[in-house]
Amino acid sequence: MKYFWIQLVLIVGSVSMALVFIRTWSQAKNRAWKRIAFSLFVVVNVYAVLRPTDVTWLAHQLGVGRGTDLVLYVMVLAMGFLTLNTFLRFRSLEKKITDLARTVAINEGTRHNDERLGAASAAGSTPAADADADAKADSDSVKA
Amino acid sequence: MPAQDVTPITEHSYVPLSAGATVSQYDDVWLVIPAYNEGQVIAEVVEGARKTFPNIVVVDDGSTDDSAAHIATTGAHLVRHPVNLGQGAALQTGLKYAIAQPGSRYFATFDADGQHQTKDVETMVGVLRRDEADVVLGSRFIEQNGQVPWIKQVVLRTAAAVSPTARKLKLTDAHNGLRVLSRKAAEQLNITMNGMAHASELVGFLAGSDLRVTEVPVDILYTEYSRSKGQSLINGVNIIFDISLRERGRR
Repeated sequence: MKYFWIQLVLIVGSVSMALVFIRTWSQAKNRAWKRIAFSLFVVVNVYAVLRPTDVTWLAHQLGVGRGTDLVLYVMVLAMGFLTLNTFLRFRSLEKKITDLARTVAINEGTRHNDERLGAASAAGSTPAADADADAKADSDSVKA
Repeated sequence: MPAQDVTPITEHSYVPLSAGATVSQYDDVWLVIPAYNEGQVIAEVVEGARKTFPNIVVVDDGSTDDSAAHIATTGAHLVRHPVNLGQGAALQTGLKYAIAQPGSRYFATFDADGQHQTKDVETMVGVLRRDEADVVLGSRFIEQNGQVPWIKQVVLRTAAAVSPTARKLKLTDAHNGLRVLSRKAAEQLNITMNGMAHASELVGFLAGSDLRVTEVPVDILYTEYSRSKGQSLINGVNIIFDISLRERGRR
């Protein structure tokens, strides 16, 4: 029972981290919450520096030995959030780069290949075109 | 370039050999070959494959060697990623390019290191032409030819057995690079895993779609070169990690 509160805090923190990861909110809402969390972090920081004994008091209430330990635990959670956030950001960036590179590659490729293999690729495309033309001719003749 | 209005062709309609005197039987098949630093062998592999399949697009995935120069000496189409993105991204780029080509109906993914054989692709295209499936995957394990190193066998079989999607499709080999897709399947497919996890992603996509999937036994030539270039088994850890994060992160 001694560690109940700190265990609760850490578990709730971890679970909410997982939730953030699984279901992403709309971008704007997400960003707003991140900003609120950051402002809170700053305020708490300043307070903790001015009155370190209060942190120790809070730690005692939660069942943790010293204030420093509490700060360490919270740091671990914050670190987790940060890592996930960065990971998601990187992934969306990677997707953008991929789309960009793909478009460039295909545009360039099409241009170069038309120059390089112009005759060959034109020959390759004829059968389908011919088949289409034939089919069209057939239906035309039926109409006539 | 001619107008790209070829899609309305009835699906899987058989192209008769009489369609044109000089036309190959495989004019509607496109081979997609992703290549990353394969300068040593790529030209040979491409020319070998071109004896059967006239249409090949090689995606040079930002190689740092002279791959592009070697590919340019062949009759294959060349698409170059400006930066290295990974094999999954290269496959998707190649497919996108091939789909845009007039007259393309079947799309085969083929490895650049020469471990795949065109005769297997011919068999697989045959299955699609007979309209027996929408996607044909190569498998190393349906018939044994003793070519697969035993440790690789154990790992790949385990991968197929533990993957819920591979089980659903009753696949024996979830990580074979040799596949042939119909136009319908290729247009639906969108590979987002840039790295090596794309194989599992593809199987997952197939399991979630209403496409008909079959496996066909293929022979893999494990040459010295392909062994040295092939995925190391430790890379399996990366694949599992990528895939599990993708599942979690899906919205």
